Amino acid sequence: MAGAIIENLSGRKLGILIMFLLLCQVVCFLVGALIAPAPSSVLSVLGTKCVDKQYSREKWYYPRGKGRCLHRISNPQDPEVAKQGISANHIIFTFQIPSPKDNQILDYSRWQQNLIAMMHLDILYKEEEAEFDPNALMTIEARLGYRNKGDPDDRWTEYATSTEERILDCSISPEHRKAEYMYNCSSVPLFELGSLHHDFYLLNIRLPIHTPKEPRDHPTNVYLGALTDMWVAFIHQNGGFTKVWVSLKTVFFPTIVSIMVWFWRRISHLARPPLLLEYMLMVLGAALTLLNCPLEYLTLAFDCPWMTVVSDIRQGLFYASLLSFWLIFTGEHLMDDIERNNVRAYWRHLSAVLGGCLCLFIFDMCERGVQLSNPFYSIWVTEIGTNLALAFIILAGVCAGLYFCFLSYMIWKVFINISKKRQSLPAMSSTRRLHYEGVIYRFKVLMLATLLCAAMTIIGFILGQVSEGQWSWDENIKLEYTSAFFTGVYGMWNVYTFALICLYAPSHKRWPKDQDTQSSTGEEIEFSRLATEPSEMSSITAYVTKAATD
Amino acid sequence: MGGGAPLLHLMLGGLGALLTLSTPSTLARLVGSWMNLGLQGYEVWRNPQIYLIGAQPLCTQIPGLSAGQKKLCQLYQDHMGSVGRGAKTGIHECQWQFRHRRWNCSTVDDSTVFGPVLQIPSREAAFAHAVASAGVVHSVSRSCRDGQLSTCGCSPARRPKDLNKEWIWGGCGDNVEYGYKFTQGFVDVREREKNYKRGSLRQGRQLMNLHNNEAGRRAVIRKTRVNCKCHGVSGSCSLITCWQQLASFREVGDLLKDKYDGATEVKINRRGKLQVKHPQYNVPTGEDLVYLHESPDYCKRNNTVGSLGTQGRICNKTSQGMDGCGLLCCGRGYNSQKVTVRERCQCKFHWCCVVECKTCFRVIDLHTCK
Repeated sequence: MAGAIIENLSGRKLGILIMFLLLCQVVCFLVGALIAPAPSSVLSVLGTKCVDKQYSREKWYYPRGKGRCLHRISNPQDPEVAKQGISANHIIFTFQIPSPKDNQILDYSRWQQNLIAMMHLDILYKEEEAEFDPNALMTIEARLGYRNKGDPDDRWTEYATSTEERILDCSISPEHRKAEYMYNCSSVPLFELGSLHHDFYLLNIRLPIHTPKEPRDHPTNVYLGALTDMWVAFIHQNGGFTKVWVSLKTVFFPTIVSIMVWFWRRISHLARPPLLLEYMLMVLGAALTLLNCPLEYLTLAFDCPWMTVVSDIRQGLFYASLLSFWLIFTGEHLMDDIERNNVRAYWRHLSAVLGGCLCLFIFDMCERGVQLSNPFYSIWVTEIGTNLALAFIILAGVCAGLYFCFLSYMIWKVFINISKKRQSLPAMSSTRRLHYEGVIYRFKVLMLATLLCAAMTIIGFILGQVSEGQWSWDENIKLEYTSAFFTGVYGMWNVYTFALICLYAPSHKRWPKDQDTQSSTGEEIEFSRLATEPSEMSSITAYVTKAATD
Repeated sequence: MGGGAPLLHLMLGGLGALLTLSTPSTLARLVGSWMNLGLQGYEVWRNPQIYLIGAQPLCTQIPGLSAGQKKLCQLYQDHMGSVGRGAKTGIHECQWQFRHRRWNCSTVDDSTVFGPVLQIPSREAAFAHAVASAGVVHSVSRSCRDGQLSTCGCSPARRPKDLNKEWIWGGCGDNVEYGYKFTQGFVDVREREKNYKRGSLRQGRQLMNLHNNEAGRRAVIRKTRVNCKCHGVSGSCSLITCWQQLASFREVGDLLKDKYDGATEVKINRRGKLQVKHPQYNVPTGEDLVYLHESPDYCKRNNTVGSLGTQGRICNKTSQGMDGCGLLCCGRGYNSQKVTVRERCQCKFHWCCVVECKTCFRVIDLHTCK
């Protein structure tokens, strides 16, 4: 990779380019902060307890609209309920979403992309002995249906149905062990929908018990205690955020594609075959293009439950190629005069990246992949599943650790070599000096840019975790920090890749003519250690060792 | 949370309807309380239509509401059931918290709800206002969430021009926030309707009510729990969404009881502001209760102040606390008798609705104040 554009670009041009890129970065951040709303919103719904003594799995129960359930109870512990002979099998918790607001019936839009449901139970502490186990296993009969605008009120279509098990995780501090206090139960994941294709959804949940007639060798839902209410928090992506996000993608997609075309044309005009690093830049660009591709437009027309899986995979591919790129870039700038220029030379390092990504991919497929067929599925509910998931995550963590060890070691070696070369630089011929100065310069620029980007991402992430999500500049200007973080980081890695492809493309310029009369084009090619002749390399090695000993 | 003051007005705001009590000894004109909503039968709220026949809607028939509250009541008729339930919850909680005290939060059968005793700007009045306003926040937020209130706003901060677009664009705010805002509007409005002379006791009472209403509302917010869910890439925490979960009302009541015990005595100054009466005490925050006058003597029956006295109340012989016979009976002594009580015992509780109990008979010593 001799003579990249970055070495030969004049300071003024470089300055203009960097200013332009920084401007793009700021615009991305501000678009998120000022235009976009928060990435997601919650609709917390209290379940309406419908009662039907002739419960049937084919029937839908809903709290609003024509044909709504009329027999409801507010408190199951009310002695009246027991007197009426109502049992747990007759109670259906119903959730009809979205809730109406301001006398308007709202509906979900396809712009809102996905839906996540978390269940929360209100269980009262009873001074009397209640059959309650804080870590009880719940059996949930859940049914999810949908209805579209224009359908009659009672035409609900089944989307998914499942009998699921979930483990309660409740606690109560000793000072709260009094009547009327509630256990502090953590939320239980219920389902995840990768696409929000329909307008209205209806969730029916039953916590059935065995009737005395049925065998009770495996008691279900006996230890739920004084459960009084069920809440479900429905989380969806905000339509406004999707719009801003997709617009960003629509802008970035052609930009990165065109810079890649430009880059490849430049390479193919060269006499030599492309170098490994140039291939890597193309791979990075391709992974980013895949990530940028605004596939989300499809969800507006079609039901695409696989969208979350696909976007996880796209994101994973980008991370994998970015990590591999750093490794190979560092390796190619080692200046230890060992010929690499071949992926095989990096198999140990790259296997760490691949292993980590594979682990995360398997984990993702186990969770979100299975959710494609059963949205109620969660890997975390069974003990084996939890252990498996944890194993994969830990394995991925080990791979990440390994990767960073490799990378840090290589960077350290590069710096050692740089300081060695620095000492011998004055003794070298000007062409060789220019070559090494170029290598050092390229490496340092990338190092600086990468560190800056990584630091910004991490700082942004930490700030996002500690802040409230919305920052107020003054009364009128509200900054949506979380959205700004997402658009800012997304824009940053796009700008980063753009700059890399642009600046590390081979330059057409010869070595500057006014530099030194000694240098000739022939010598330049000869001394390029990345050129194809290994025999020439060994002579350089000999020369360098001699220069060093001198 | 924004500035503290505007939030405090919920509970006792409904004191607008003026009722002149016929008791000759009553000097002040007593005002009804909006909390009267809590004493209306449940049927009223379940089926409001029956009260809407003719030109006189329900809202004007309930004594205790101020003019502004009547208007709000008509505007938000579907909310009134929740407000009523909330007030009822508040009153029950008050009675539970004070069950062992000399003043036991007993209600009377008129629109003042607690009788003339709470016309005195005492600690007890402060608590009653706070707990009722808390009850309404709790209840409205709950009703909002089960989708029974069609008018729960989306984001009250900036009224959307087109609600549907606004909802798709940015979602809707939390319903606890809505409950808070609605309660603020409904309960506090009565304290803002009349202008009294600056620095007068009546103005002081208004400010006190506003402050305590706000403290009650804040107690609900303070006790909400935050639940969060990570749902970034592969379920990582790059994206977290949080929402609020209401605590049980007993927890709110306990918090307010603590605030009652640490309430600050204040006075109204000439500039028409409340200030701490004894400068050695801290300035109360928006979550603290304030009162203007010391409590009256609740020991003896006194129709002038409306105290029922503690005669006939059951006390605990062994307790040294407020429920002990010594303190509760104010040193008058007590009568003892043996009674047999029938009660549920050894209860076993099954989800959902079955309580299996044994019936036990116990002989206990019952002590009642002389």
